[in-house]
Amino acid sequence: MSFLQPLLSGILTGGVYALAGIGMSLVFGVMNISNFAHGDLMMLGMYLAYFAFTLLHIDPYLSLVLIIPTAFLFGYVLEKLLINRVINHPHQNQILLTIGLGLIMSNTALLAFTSDPKILTTSYSSSAFNLAGGISISVPLLLSFLITCVIITILYVFLSKSTTGMALRATSQNREAAQLMGINVAKMSAIAFGIGTALAATAGALIAPTYYIHPLAGHSFLLKAFTICVLGGLGSVVGAGVGGVIIGVVESMSSTYLSSDWKDVVVFMIFLAVLLFRPQGLFGNKGGQS
Amino acid sequence: MKQIALITILAAAAFALPLVIGENPYITGILISVLMMAALSSAWNILGGYAGQYSFGHAAYFGAGAYTTLILLTIYPTLNPLICVALGIIAASIIALITGSIVFRLRGHYFGLASIAVAEIVRLSVLNFDFTGGAQGILLSDVSLWGLDLNSKNPFYYGMLLVLVVTLGITAYLRTSKTGYYLQAIREDQDAASSLGINLSYYKNKSLLISAALTSVLGSLYGLYIRFIDTSAVLDLRLSIEIILTAIIGGVGTLWGPVVGALLLVPLAEMLRSNLLGDTLVKAGLVSETSALGIFLKENLAHAHVLVYGIITVLCILYLPKGILGLFRRTK
Repeated sequence: MSFLQPLLSGILTGGVYALAGIGMSLVFGVMNISNFAHGDLMMLGMYLAYFAFTLLHIDPYLSLVLIIPTAFLFGYVLEKLLINRVINHPHQNQILLTIGLGLIMSNTALLAFTSDPKILTTSYSSSAFNLAGGISISVPLLLSFLITCVIITILYVFLSKSTTGMALRATSQNREAAQLMGINVAKMSAIAFGIGTALAATAGALIAPTYYIHPLAGHSFLLKAFTICVLGGLGSVVGAGVGGVIIGVVESMSSTYLSSDWKDVVVFMIFLAVLLFRPQGLFGNKGGQS
Repeated sequence: MKQIALITILAAAAFALPLVIGENPYITGILISVLMMAALSSAWNILGGYAGQYSFGHAAYFGAGAYTTLILLTIYPTLNPLICVALGIIAASIIALITGSIVFRLRGHYFGLASIAVAEIVRLSVLNFDFTGGAQGILLSDVSLWGLDLNSKNPFYYGMLLVLVVTLGITAYLRTSKTGYYLQAIREDQDAASSLGINLSYYKNKSLLISAALTSVLGSLYGLYIRFIDTSAVLDLRLSIEIILTAIIGGVGTLWGPVVGALLLVPLAEMLRSNLLGDTLVKAGLVSETSALGIFLKENLAHAHVLVYGIITVLCILYLPKGILGLFRRTK
């Protein structure tokens, strides 16, 4: 098989991973919180897309128009009600709170949707473009990737040009200084968590047509999102984007040349290797975070 | 000294307990679970509570003990189980040393994240290799030690009790030893500890090794007790979280916190699992058995104990971050 095939599929899947990674990195940067519920938020996105498709007959990609605002609101409220209460707590309490929230989400989903995996089959689920050299591109993967690119572009413009975006970046760089400049950092945290949730849910919705939809699916995505963040440098949005694509390619390559059973092991090995050799990540600042 | 005396008195009481309750496998089984979770959480507490290094991957050490023991006994059925326990400790120590050498140079979020990554690598490797039984797990048919009846539960009750007492003893000793003070200094302020000449990496690794070794012994005991293990029973992230949660509810960094946590959480989980809670609600007349809610509770409450753990975790972090014993602890 051609070397290009796994590379291409890896890049396409990696784009969606990048979306999840960017969401987590943004939350980490602005709030300095490791969000362990991120994977479960992705899982909720998968189910939202599934039910929008089966109940409302909306195409999973079109349903993003509904899912993004819903997820943003959910994240915003979650931050206001619960997360902001531990923002000055030790890291471990923040981690445990988000682990607890994740357990609540996944196990509520387990009770509500049962443990039978769901499959979202669209009319174009198994269709593919055939390129020269025997390379084929899956249509749902390509659509997901293109939508991801659009969303990342919008996010980039938002973060670099808008007042709120600049305030978010300022809070990320230095919370105290941002507060002294009159930025409402509490509001920025809620917005960041809202955007993070929206990105997680979007990533979930985008992979829903190509994955099994299961209440416990968030678990493996959570660890992938962490690997992406650490690879890119915790808190670095650009780094998370690049990290996502790298992880997508690594996964696809190890599935092809090793075995799909071992692809997650390879991803976690990379995670440890990054911690060992370049703990600040590819794009992070020098020195470990305190 | 006071704590050592208290440990001795309570251990003596726990030692006599099976004589009082007599031959009741169900109750003994729950007591074994309580002792095991108390010991697991106490072992975690040495690292998490005293050194302040929160490990989210202690299932890896538990699994290392359980798998080493059962794999060896499957290949060499006549091997003395205690040798397997010792080899399990070595396996867990190797995993601990690898983890520690990678992450203890770093701070903050990294140790927690890396401990999960290592635990997942162990879990997935066990799942994918053949000699570990893969997804089917390992079933052990027979085991013997010094002519003890290992089909009965009492030997395991005393085994777990012994490990718990040893763990509590080590913790009580550490609290007032040089190492213990160093660990607490590291927990409170790494920079200050380092500037006073404390070798951060050495002491963090030391506490991780002690904690991992004790956890692995418990894993071996569990494997010998249940005689069936698979990755979801002994290597799952959920187990790691249960261990932490037990310590949090009782009080992290206190001697007795993990014991209190286990005394509360294990019976609660058992009540949910056996649907005792649902039945009680029906019997108390709060919920009608035939109503929609009653049927829903009856069908689902048994599967809901992880959901309940999640809710307890959130409530505990928000309202009781220092745990039950933290309420009584003097502020330093």
